Amino acid sequence: MENGNIQDLLHKAVEKGENLGVNFIEARYDDLNLTTVNYTNEIIKQSSSLSRKGIGIMAYYQGTPGYSYTPELTLEGVKEATIRAAKLAKSTDSRNKIKLDFDSIPAIKEKIEVKVKKHPKDYEFADKLDMLKRGVTAVKEQLEVTTTIGLYGEIYGEKYLVNSEGTELYWVPLMVDIRMGGVVISEGKQSQSFTGWGASKGLEFFEEKETTPEITGTNAGTYCKEQLEAVAAPSGKTKTLVSPQMGGVVVHESFGHLSEADFVVTGQSPIADRVGEELGSEHVTIIDEGVSPYGGLYLPYDDQGIKTGRTVLLEKGILKGYLHNRGTAKKMNSELTGNSRAINFMFNPIVRMKNTYFEKGDLTFEEAVEHVNTGVYAVDMSGGQVGLDGNFMFNCSRGYLIENGEVTKPIKNTALSGNILELLKYVEGGTKEVTIKTGYFGGCGKGGQGGLPVGFGGPDMIMDKVLVGGAQ
Amino acid sequence: MTLDEIRDKILHIADQTIKYARDLNIPAAEAYIYNLSNTNLTDNKGKIDSRDGLTQGIGLRVAIGKQVGFASCTGFEKETIKSTLKHAHSIAKVSPENPMFNGFVAGTNVAKEGILDPEILQLDPDSMIETCNLMSQEIDLSDRRIVSISYGVNFSFGGYAVATTEGCLASSLITTYAANSFSVVTEADDRKTASDFVQGREIKSVEGISSNGLKKALNSLGSKAFGGSEGLPTVWEPRESATFLAFSFFNCVSGSSYVEKSNPWGDKLDQQVAVKELTLIDDGQHPESDSGRAIDAEGSPKQTTNIIDDGILKTFLFNKMFGEAADKATTGNASRGGFFGGIPYENVPNVGINKLLIKEVGKNLDQQIGEIDKGILITGTPIGLFTANQVTGDFSITTNDAFLIEKGEVVHPLKNISIAGNYFETLNDMRTIGSDREESGWPIDAPAITYNKHTISD
Repeated sequence: MENGNIQDLLHKAVEKGENLGVNFIEARYDDLNLTTVNYTNEIIKQSSSLSRKGIGIMAYYQGTPGYSYTPELTLEGVKEATIRAAKLAKSTDSRNKIKLDFDSIPAIKEKIEVKVKKHPKDYEFADKLDMLKRGVTAVKEQLEVTTTIGLYGEIYGEKYLVNSEGTELYWVPLMVDIRMGGVVISEGKQSQSFTGWGASKGLEFFEEKETTPEITGTNAGTYCKEQLEAVAAPSGKTKTLVSPQMGGVVVHESFGHLSEADFVVTGQSPIADRVGEELGSEHVTIIDEGVSPYGGLYLPYDDQGIKTGRTVLLEKGILKGYLHNRGTAKKMNSELTGNSRAINFMFNPIVRMKNTYFEKGDLTFEEAVEHVNTGVYAVDMSGGQVGLDGNFMFNCSRGYLIENGEVTKPIKNTALSGNILELLKYVEGGTKEVTIKTGYFGGCGKGGQGGLPVGFGGPDMIMDKVLVGGAQ
Repeated sequence: MTLDEIRDKILHIADQTIKYARDLNIPAAEAYIYNLSNTNLTDNKGKIDSRDGLTQGIGLRVAIGKQVGFASCTGFEKETIKSTLKHAHSIAKVSPENPMFNGFVAGTNVAKEGILDPEILQLDPDSMIETCNLMSQEIDLSDRRIVSISYGVNFSFGGYAVATTEGCLASSLITTYAANSFSVVTEADDRKTASDFVQGREIKSVEGISSNGLKKALNSLGSKAFGGSEGLPTVWEPRESATFLAFSFFNCVSGSSYVEKSNPWGDKLDQQVAVKELTLIDDGQHPESDSGRAIDAEGSPKQTTNIIDDGILKTFLFNKMFGEAADKATTGNASRGGFFGGIPYENVPNVGINKLLIKEVGKNLDQQIGEIDKGILITGTPIGLFTANQVTGDFSITTNDAFLIEKGEVVHPLKNISIAGNYFETLNDMRTIGSDREESGWPIDAPAITYNKHTISD
């Protein structure tokens, strides 16, 4: 369908909704293309090319939202979705006690296109498969593995947003990613590794020094080999140096979600109504940002058409604010933060993070290791879980002992756990270098919307009293 | 639209898609047609969100010999289907051969369909609000320990169809209904949560959901520290028992990980993997479960499979491709989208779980508690189940929902504890398998189970 026709459909939806008596309409269009290649044991276990195209309508009636979506890109289909969205908003208004209406803001008319050197749409499937083959070769050069795993993922396309204020936004999401892994099950020894990242870039990302398929494959092989000789991690509360990716996941999963204002306005978050309180040590500053100088996810606007900014959640341990959509910002008398996001047209935007990270400290890596002296360096994780009370547990899939101020032996898979609101008080410093990671695989899950690309990171952070599970 | 009309529609589109494939001279193709209307309403302490829509699309596999390509699209528009077929064909042309692939499902062979409730098609936003009202009427909000109570209602209807150039043309219909409540309570520095739910293929009564969930949360207040580290028996309530076992079983019973040599039970066929009292089946014909369907996600009939008999591993679960790679037949376990969801038509068939059921044996939960001199009762899903090492079986999980048992009595709730052990060892160290299996909300149901020893610490 031509772009002009899509815009016309979205405007028709807004017009229809307003005629139905609702106060505000947002009409979104997604046309996303996703490619995934799962190259396991040098066979394409799954290769998929997905076209995800449709329209979602959000209607607000007196501060009560209703959302409906349709894959039918016809005037009839869009009108029907608009009628349903309006009916949901009106029918549920009687029970809605937390009205999240919002003030009008000036319309935005912007078209954002990202220029990259090697857009994935211009390259063949065989080119992407070749990168995985190169990565797998590098894994196998490190050790004899039972299973090799290579994953390639890309997402690109276009998004439109039109709303009752006259906003017309167009932008183009983009993400590429490669992951490599190995599994060894042999003669009583078991080991596995999985590593790699993505970027809001073109395929030139895989030509950068640290992210070529060969380097990712070599890392996967090396980490798998290390695990065969790994020693048990110490057990109990341990001083821990957490890497940017590990610390980033901790801050995203266990603190970031607590700061999402939809969770705060209902009083369910344990940090609700605590702005100004000291929740962490002076070494803790936590940021959420749409476009960051440290890299990560590129997200200039959210799915309500709000320009994303830099939100300081915690500054030197003091809680400064929360992450908002338009309704929660008005309700809590806060600035707009641009955190209303939807995974695709089948879902309504909800409050989500962008790039969430610990701000840098003032130590060198060597000084940080020396400070820990005896403990654990937690580098990579594979899976984790958090509770609504700030409790978390993550599986540290790659880590090392720190002995006498030096990083020494690799440790076996171990669990790291604690409560983020206690742990933040025991942060003793961070290094000067901040890294933000993002990717096509994994992503954030909330409200049934899994796999939303986000960024997370920080410097290497020193945390005391992390509960290390130890080998069983 | 009625359920019969939905069936006719998806079968027609499946059939048409295969005709398009033939018109395009595609040698072999499989069309998976998915059409599901769903409606959700959540009430988080009075904050209402609602969503509905039609999830509709086609997943297309195209094969040239053993070269396979896959592409999917949203909607059923004719030109989009044709262009997606061409795209899948172009991917197949450049894909290396998959030595395991041996064609699509041939012929039409269906099993029994589970329960279908046409009344679900009549539900609307007003009826969902009424359901929330019913749930909230059970709660006395004057109790100052209540932080929040959330409610959710969800229903869906639709179906999927599979057609292949080898002559398969079959469908399965879906009706689902679910309602839940989630309570958050606090007292002093203690903060506890609990939930309750109903779910199934037909409209259910929501009576007791919110009051039971709240009661459970309130009973957990007043927790005390465990204090130290000790190896103790653990007793798991039925739903928690199921979730605890889910992550080890899901990988260990999978025929795909068996073929790919990443299954820790890969060399355990016909060997003892658990206590002799343990019998585990996968029930793809459970009439009340969402998995009780006529066909799986690639068109094979669903079935019931005995996986573990008296503690001995008898088989893995397979779809067509992985079954044939292991010289076995499919067990009707093709699924699309994985355990954590995903849009079915956007995924190729893999091996999935239908409904794992642990056979009930002996004593109920209260009787099991009565036999414990000192131990721990687990009443909520622990955090960290996802972090268990699928290869080695090591796990270390934490929970804020546990009680100390002494001399056969539940003494008091505990503050956050960690529970550590090894899945493979603990399956051979079950003390009692209970008689009180419940619907867990997961693709596994279990009765209460007592284990002899896990390491408990705080």
